[in-house]
Amino acid sequence: MEQESETKSKDWYDRYYKTLLIIPLLILIFCLAYLGFFYSQHNDFILKDSSLAGGTAITLNGEINSENIESSLKTKFSDITIRKLTDIRTGKTLATIIETSADSEEVKSELEDLLGYSLTEENSSIEFTGSSLSQSFYKQLILALIISFILMSCVVFILFRTFIPSIAVIFAAFSDIVMPLAVVDYLGIKLSAAGISAFLMLIGYSVDTDILLTTRALKNRESTLNKRIFRAFKTGILMTGTALLAVLPAFFVVSGIPDSFRQIFFILSIGLFADIINTWLTNAGIIKWYCDKKGIK
Amino acid sequence: MKFSWRIWLLVIVLSLSLLVLAPNFEKGVLIKSVEQNSTASESGLTAGEIITSINGEKVETIEDYTRLVSSILPSENPVKLLIGTKTQETLLFTNSTPEITVSNLPKTKIKTGLDLSGGARALVDAEEKELTTSELNDLIAVTSERLNVYGLKDVQIKPVSDLSGKNYMLVEIAGSTPKELESLIGQQGKFEAKIGNETVFEGGNRDITYVARTGQESGIYSCTPYQDGEVCNFRFAISLSEEAAQKHAKITSELGTDPENPQYLDKKLDLYLDDRLVDSLYIGKDLKGSSTTQISISGSGTGATREEAYKTAEADMKQLQTVLISGSLPFKLKIEKLDTISPVLGKEFTKNMIIIALTVFLIISVVLFIKYRRIKLTLAVILTMFSEAFITLAIAALIRWNLDAPSIAGIIAGIGTGVNDQIVIIDEAVSNEFQSIKQRIKNALFIIIGAFFTIIAAMLPLFWAGAGMLKGFALTTIIGVSVGILITRPAFSDIVKNIIKE
Repeated sequence: MEQESETKSKDWYDRYYKTLLIIPLLILIFCLAYLGFFYSQHNDFILKDSSLAGGTAITLNGEINSENIESSLKTKFSDITIRKLTDIRTGKTLATIIETSADSEEVKSELEDLLGYSLTEENSSIEFTGSSLSQSFYKQLILALIISFILMSCVVFILFRTFIPSIAVIFAAFSDIVMPLAVVDYLGIKLSAAGISAFLMLIGYSVDTDILLTTRALKNRESTLNKRIFRAFKTGILMTGTALLAVLPAFFVVSGIPDSFRQIFFILSIGLFADIINTWLTNAGIIKWYCDKKGIK
Repeated sequence: MKFSWRIWLLVIVLSLSLLVLAPNFEKGVLIKSVEQNSTASESGLTAGEIITSINGEKVETIEDYTRLVSSILPSENPVKLLIGTKTQETLLFTNSTPEITVSNLPKTKIKTGLDLSGGARALVDAEEKELTTSELNDLIAVTSERLNVYGLKDVQIKPVSDLSGKNYMLVEIAGSTPKELESLIGQQGKFEAKIGNETVFEGGNRDITYVARTGQESGIYSCTPYQDGEVCNFRFAISLSEEAAQKHAKITSELGTDPENPQYLDKKLDLYLDDRLVDSLYIGKDLKGSSTTQISISGSGTGATREEAYKTAEADMKQLQTVLISGSLPFKLKIEKLDTISPVLGKEFTKNMIIIALTVFLIISVVLFIKYRRIKLTLAVILTMFSEAFITLAIAALIRWNLDAPSIAGIIAGIGTGVNDQIVIIDEAVSNEFQSIKQRIKNALFIIIGAFFTIIAAMLPLFWAGAGMLKGFALTTIIGVSVGILITRPAFSDIVKNIIKE
């Protein structure tokens, strides 16, 4: 029975793998188009939080009546946003985070007037980033992302020493970054420095299934190509699946943990989803095509 | 089960990690710092010692210490204070509390970062210019002196530079943050005393040989109602160098007497701090032309209540004294980033992240058990995950890395790649192909090593980007995957070989 269904699936794959390539390609084009649209709207590829755009984030500990404060602050600082952090278990408000591009002293004194008490380290945290520093931070993180991508590409080329399979891996990694980026933008998430570093992590993290696939397809030739790809798929899907399940708790726990921590996991989990598509549709398709051309059975 | 050298290596590294991370059950209070030139330092107390008793009574916690010390000090007359540490007994004869800062003994060697333990962090550079390395070193020296003179403890000041080579000074303060931090680290500290347009003397030890900070010559001498609040006045004495005193004589000799206040000269001594007028002092007419070396500096602080005004005046005085001693920097400073993090939320955050980490462990174990249905393989994976986390934590503690939230995310991500690798190993090992198990494991290792180098390549630039603010994430990830590839993965492959052969 099992043998039969496998043969069937093999035939099916032989017939449709090129067609399957269209799906990820369409998604990628759609994401790139969305990013282009986003760029035309916001003049940048992401929304930046106060650590990257410059400004102030004030975290007020404990429960406060944030509605009044929000409306009063809005009149003074138009770009202000207010979020709440709640405890995982009790649902109690742990803290309220107020973010704006204004200078910390201004926001602080305004907030102190509204609250009627002064802000100390006992009741609040204040994070301020100057605009010139934040700009240089942002530029550097983008630079780091590019360097990281180039270094990863070098490693892949050294590993496989053949052009098309290496490019296929690099292309998959590129899609792994573009897709989550589009999702993050669509959801209106303001990225922090930690969030951008998650994209770097994604570069390293997503490539291992591609390496697995390429190695199994090109290096050990003890069974048929389809069988090898299918076996790589079974292993890889377990890898990505486990990793996804592992980052999911952090994905669902939207508060009660530091923002930096949450963003890292959120981006990793979307990236892992994208990786399933990019490895097993895109990369597998290209590798199969390549092997068929080269006569690798 | 055959114990290969790889498995032994894992066992040894794990035991060493256990030694590093072993919780501390010692009782006592740790001396974190001792003030220079104080009774405490003269009597031989040094930072790092552990106080176990005071006047023969046991000290186990910081509460014991505070209770015992405050029951006798400060006092009118000097009293005996016998401080017993682990290595010696020190006798202090004093009427004030010992000039030391103490803390409870840390339970583990794991240190948490600023975002979890609270404190302040500032990134400072020069306004409108790039700092050269030697300027940066000067800046750090002056700032250290200021913070030291001001009496701040537990401060780390270090130079950092980013990917483009721009230099910054990074100041990190654990625990409580003083309100004055911003002016202490962000101030050029250019102090000038002028008569008319002529500078009589400046801050720093070229012109000022001594600044009184305690006793009769320094303090707040009056508080009066002012507008809606109160104003408190402070003064302290300073000594001028011979050269500055001569200058004073020369400039004042050319002055006349004030027609309205005939006991004073017709110009005042204006004190400027960073080009801002702090105070104007009348000059007594008998000082005309005299090369005086003793000068009293004064100023004031205001507040809504007397208590508040007193505090402001006290802080202003301390600040002024600080810049008079440390002198001025040759450039204006700019605080590029200033974070003051409350220690309150950090505990919740840490707890929640530990819960998440444990959930992650649990989920992975369950999934792998469902997949392989082999308890031994699943246990081997759990053991490996646990070892990686444990060894990474031990290394972080050993290099005194402060674990912040991104660092903890890095540890979890490192374990994640570890699990991926183990799945590759198991899948190769249990596959029914016509290859020896050795060859199959070898196949797996190629994939694992490839993945390892891509992770390293991806994380490396983070060490420098953004003045190293995200170094923690890169560092723990790299430690994690390196521990994986060098120690746990080889051992895991051998364990799997053993299990498969059975």
